[in-house]
Order: sequence, then C-alpha cells, then structure tokens
Amino acid sequence: MSDRTNNEKQKFHDQSPEIEPDPATIPEHDPECPVDPDNPNDEGCPRVPRRVQGRSKGGSLEAIRELGASPLPEIKSNIHCLSIVGQIEGHLVLPPQNKTTKYEHVIPQLVALEQANEIEGVLIILNTVGGDVEAGLAIAEMIASMSKPTVSIVLGGGHSIGVPVACAASFSFIAETASMTIHPIRLNGLVIGVPQTYEYLDKMQDRVVRFVTRHSKVKEETFRELMFRTGELARDIGTVLIGKEAVDKGLIDEVGALGQAVAKIKHMIEEWKKGKEVPLQ
Amino acid sequence: MILYTPMQLELVVEGMEKMCAQVTRELYVGDVHMLVEDSGPGAFRVVKLLSTDPDHYLIPGFSPGQIINVNQINCREFVSV
Repeated sequence: MSDRTNNEKQKFHDQSPEIEPDPATIPEHDPECPVDPDNPNDEGCPRVPRRVQGRSKGGSLEAIRELGASPLPEIKSNIHCLSIVGQIEGHLVLPPQNKTTKYEHVIPQLVALEQANEIEGVLIILNTVGGDVEAGLAIAEMIASMSKPTVSIVLGGGHSIGVPVACAASFSFIAETASMTIHPIRLNGLVIGVPQTYEYLDKMQDRVVRFVTRHSKVKEETFRELMFRTGELARDIGTVLIGKEAVDKGLIDEVGALGQAVAKIKHMIEEWKKGKEVPLQ
Repeated sequence: MILYTPMQLELVVEGMEKMCAQVTRELYVGDVHMLVEDSGPGAFRVVKLLSTDPDHYLIPGFSPGQIINVNQINCREFVSV
C-alpha cells in the first residue's frame, strides 16, 4: 500500500508542470540584496530568474477547487439546503439500485449547521420513500433539537419514515401534489413466531407515532386511524395523503413549496435573531 | 433493521445477496480523513468520511458516492495511511 502510494506520489511529481514564473509575481529586487532607502539611485541587485512551483494552501476550499467542482459562489447564503432523497439508509447498505440518504453523513452535517455562525436557518427538502426506522428517527430527532429555524418541504413524496422527518422541522410545507403514505411498520427478515415479536413491533411503531404526534398537530387517534385504515392502498393497509389532506389532518402546517418556504424561513430567522438579542438595560 | 417504506421490499433488497464486502482504504485528501474504494484507474469513490470535523461533511465534493480523480489532486494532499 505505502509503496504504491509513494510510486504514485513520484509519478505526480514527474507529471507536475514546470511553471515559468509570472513576471508580475517576481519581486523586482533580490531579497538577499535590499535597496538602500537613503540612496534614490540604488535599484538593488537584479533578481536571478528561477523556476517556481505552485504550492497549494491545503485548505478544504482548495481541495474543492482541485476536485474540479463548480466554483463556489462568492456570496454565501445564510440558509442551508439539506435534501433527503430516496431510501433513508440504515445499518445495512442497500443494493446499488436504491438512491439513498446516508444517516452517518447527514447527522454530522446537522452538527456543522447547528454550530456554524454563518448559517441561520436550514431548509429540508424531502422526496423520500422512507427507509430504516432507526436512521429516520435519528435524523428527525437531530432536526427537531436544532436551535436554529428549520423549515421542511415535502415534494413528490414523504412516505413512511419521511413523515417524522417532515414533522421534525419547526415549520413544514407540502407541495399541492406531494403525497405522504402512512402505514404500519412491519418486520422483515427472520421473524421468530412468539408473542414478544408482536410486542416488539408495537413498541417500534409507538416510537414513530409518538414522535409524529409530539412534533405536529395530528392527534394520536387520528394518526393511528390513518395508519390502519383498510381499502385505501391496494397492497397494504394505511392511507395516502395528498397535499392539502396532510394539512387538514394536522400532519403538515401549510400547503406550499419553494417561495412560501423561503419567505417563512426568512421571517423565522428575523424572529430568532430578535429572540437572541440581549435586551438593553 | 426495520425497513419502513411503501416500496415493494423485493425491489429494495433485490441483489442484496450478491453484494460483497467493499475493499476500502483510508485516505487523507487535504486534511479530510475518509474511507474510499477504488473506482477504476486513478479514481476512487468516497464511501464515507471519517473526519471528526463536522464542517468537512458540508463539502459537496466529499459526500458519499462522489468520485474523486487522483490526477486532479495535488500529490501532497494524497496521503495513504
């Protein structure tokens, strides 16, 4: 491993271009031979031209530039956009046909957002088909416990474990055409046929129900009724709520998308800043 | 793992039995510690970041699944551990 890396390093050294020094960057005088300030005719020793090699500063911004990513905008937004798409991947890596959101990456991002001074609000964009219960609830709890204003938008779909993630934000929006599927959780893989299995499953379901009822206006009875309704889904029991229906049930705060969400988060940031200010004595 | 999704489980877990353990290695790109897997000659794919600096997780180029080309990186920033 290390031999190979050393070879690679050598290779890069060999490949690295010999750059002719830019005349604009060469000091006019040799630093070894300073100009006498008292003598106006002294121009110092002319600098001996030499080849210079570019040296990176090694910062993370430099790394992005080295990776060929599009240039960073000069003005940074005070709102960070966090998108949660596809399956929320849990403790097992899903096969590659799944688009996934990895919780081990999202959780430190939320930590960074909470402590970054230049970030004042987080906009969460959801288009997810659910996924792992533990991972979804972990992300939802992180969002819910943030001190900065958070606004979520459900676009397309925010199904199953996407529901608690949408509710976790301080204010939630759903696009008019977006849908949310609410259905019971089920165990997969080897299930031991004992009564305790049912109790375990019920407990796991309670975690989701409790989180949603605590962070939205939906009543527990209403949510459970939606979860166990029959005749709505062809292959499952449960309900699909579309746009306004989710608002009527109290699950989501308002129907709206980008414009409304950005206006709302800006307003919330203003309020949040006012709350942070120390009143003058 | 409890998978809570309206998608058909067969579609989600299809091909899972064929998946094998990834061959990964740890790298430092700049000061960012990460776990990568080889992705063709001169390129590697980010599996996950191992760095403990939360700011590193906000760099779009280092999110999981991103391909990093070795030729685009200054060799001093490419140190294997």
